[in-house]
Amino acid sequence: MRSPTTFGVIVAGVGGQGAITIAQLILAAAWMGGLHAMQSEVHGMSQRGGEVNAQVLFSNAGIRSPIIEAGTADLLIGLEPLETLRHLHYLGQAGHTVTASEPLINMDAYPEPEKLLALLHKTPNVKLIDTKTFATELHFTQAGNMVLLGAATNFMPLDESVWTKAMRKRFHSKSDKIIEKNLAALRRGRELTA
Amino acid sequence: MKKSILLSGNEALARAACDAGVKAFYGYPGTPSTEVFETGARHIAKLDDGRAAEWAANEKVAYEFALGTSYTGYRAVVTMKHVGLNVAMDAFVNSALTGIQGGVVVAVADDPGMHSSQNEQDTRFLADFANIPLLEPSSPQEVYDFTREAFELSEREQLPVVMRMVTRLSHSRGPVQPAATTLAPTSIGLPGGEDKNHWMLIPSYARKRYRSLRDKLPELVSNVGKHNRLTLHRGSRTGVVTAGMGRAYFEQYLQDNRIPPEKYNRLEISGYPIDPQQLEALVRACETIYIFEENYPYLEDKAIPYGKGVCTIHGRRDQTLDIDGELSIAKLREALEGRTVRGKVDATMMAEISGLIQVRPPKLCVGCGHTDAFRAITTALENLGIEDHRIFGDIGCYSLGILPPLSGMNTVVEMGASLSMALGAAMAGMSPSVGVIGDSTFFHSGMTTLLSAAKSHLNLNLVILDNSIVAMTGQQLPVAADIAPVLARAIGFGPDQIHTLAPLPKQTAANIEKLEKIFSEERPSLIIFKRKCIQAIRRKVYPASKKQEIQDA
Repeated sequence: MRSPTTFGVIVAGVGGQGAITIAQLILAAAWMGGLHAMQSEVHGMSQRGGEVNAQVLFSNAGIRSPIIEAGTADLLIGLEPLETLRHLHYLGQAGHTVTASEPLINMDAYPEPEKLLALLHKTPNVKLIDTKTFATELHFTQAGNMVLLGAATNFMPLDESVWTKAMRKRFHSKSDKIIEKNLAALRRGRELTA
Repeated sequence: MKKSILLSGNEALARAACDAGVKAFYGYPGTPSTEVFETGARHIAKLDDGRAAEWAANEKVAYEFALGTSYTGYRAVVTMKHVGLNVAMDAFVNSALTGIQGGVVVAVADDPGMHSSQNEQDTRFLADFANIPLLEPSSPQEVYDFTREAFELSEREQLPVVMRMVTRLSHSRGPVQPAATTLAPTSIGLPGGEDKNHWMLIPSYARKRYRSLRDKLPELVSNVGKHNRLTLHRGSRTGVVTAGMGRAYFEQYLQDNRIPPEKYNRLEISGYPIDPQQLEALVRACETIYIFEENYPYLEDKAIPYGKGVCTIHGRRDQTLDIDGELSIAKLREALEGRTVRGKVDATMMAEISGLIQVRPPKLCVGCGHTDAFRAITTALENLGIEDHRIFGDIGCYSLGILPPLSGMNTVVEMGASLSMALGAAMAGMSPSVGVIGDSTFFHSGMTTLLSAAKSHLNLNLVILDNSIVAMTGQQLPVAADIAPVLARAIGFGPDQIHTLAPLPKQTAANIEKLEKIFSEERPSLIIFKRKCIQAIRRKVYPASKKQEIQDA
């Protein structure tokens, strides 16, 4: 259906979780890899704990639309299981999902997490990651998102080297120690889906 | 040639304006437009060659700043969201009659789908109404190129030029090839000779100006003509009209599905006013036409009269596309093919998901002072035994206070409506009447209501939620701080009619008690809930206090 050269990624989460940062890293990686790329996001009201999704499209031909057509995305990165399910219909038939299994419950009507996870387990090509265990393992409270991204990199047609480059550029204002922690988390994530 | 860089639509607009020698950025924050100003302000700080960036109290004031800068012969950008143009409308419409001196670009961001807005209005209609040309880009690169051109067009036609942005373009990042040079701001001088009279819209001059504006139409159509392209293919009887993001989505659809371009006759629009003859020519060449444009059916309504009895026109009017909401490639495909793509989630799975998932409403931050303010206000009204009490609200983060469990406001209409509606309700007998507004919204459009409020002898309670920041749009500093009590005193509020309260959990009981007393008085009161925004504190947005400055010195 989709032109084989265009690759679409959706990053879904809750405002403040870091979905946009992940999308911008993917954009930077694709761009540094010499591809055409566009990225979009919706913010505003969603900054205040509402649902957020950011999308990235890259291709070796030009990209015209910054938005992915529902049913055609190649990869869904979910920072939280409810948001992952909400955006699952964006995925194409062969698409992959990498999602955190830990729910972010900031609403009264949050469904039973077990039911969400059961639905996700039933879906083909889903990798569930218990992100909070990596904060302890890597001694880095924000490790979760980078572990998720690391796990997701194996499903994206981009060289491993561009990720390190993109991370260094994105976090250039941070200390070497913080950059190294992020890179370690990214590598740890890659191992999970290698 | 400079290297391509990745910019969002808003960033591209600001960078292009800087490269085109803009002297100043003005505006009022509003999603999705805010980053035009913010990028401009950051970039001119780097350029350090005598440019300015200034948030105004509201969009009308910002627009007038731009006109003043233009009068001195310099180029200016004024930026706002779509509903902001309503506030600036008086200046906007009349600036078409005065004309401009230095080029003026009016960057307006529409919000199809109302991601963070109270309506879905289409700026093309306002530009049309004012007889002001408009360019509608569909990618960050086009934003960059069109903005530079807009300044040229503005000065050539001596009219402001609108850059119509939409959420998906404002907040989409893509490659932009910038120009080789950045022009320094230079003035073309004050209006001289006959041009001096243009700016004085007394009837005798205004009549001439209006006539000359109307006479300019053919010239405008021809000047934006290169932005509108008609492509007819001998073998095709199907046409597509695309504008803005509709153009981007349609091209992506063709590319992804390897559809040969000859399949469709096309009219691509990105410059307004349009040439109706192009629409007529497309209609004559087709049996069926599809129209893909964001927001209102502007082009569609222009095409329909030509199509009568000649061809079928599909768009928002015949419900091929919804009349409301954002375009998407899926909607385009459904219109053209009558189907959507079947992805990973089949109907059974979709039903299971829909049965389980819930909307995640945005909410006030944990620990936000607005929460404590709303609790105090609603509890005080309940304690007074006011049945079915109503609170007039306004626009900002605190709009989220309408949602349960706070249910702290019952109206959200437009900037400033809270205070005037509360007064209107009080005049009709509501007692106590309560209006709640943020500090920046108060400066934007609430202050003028104080004048009428002060002389009323009604149980009118004007509440300012003062966090000294424009929080919702990303924590910009407002034009003023801490002046409401002084203003109220000058207008005629007595010192015992002005109350400053701290919206803190530990103060809530005391605040409720005070409010019960205030809400029982048959006279107007100004109640200021004063506490800083926790997000702005975290991001260190507030300027250091005087005490701090003294210590630093």
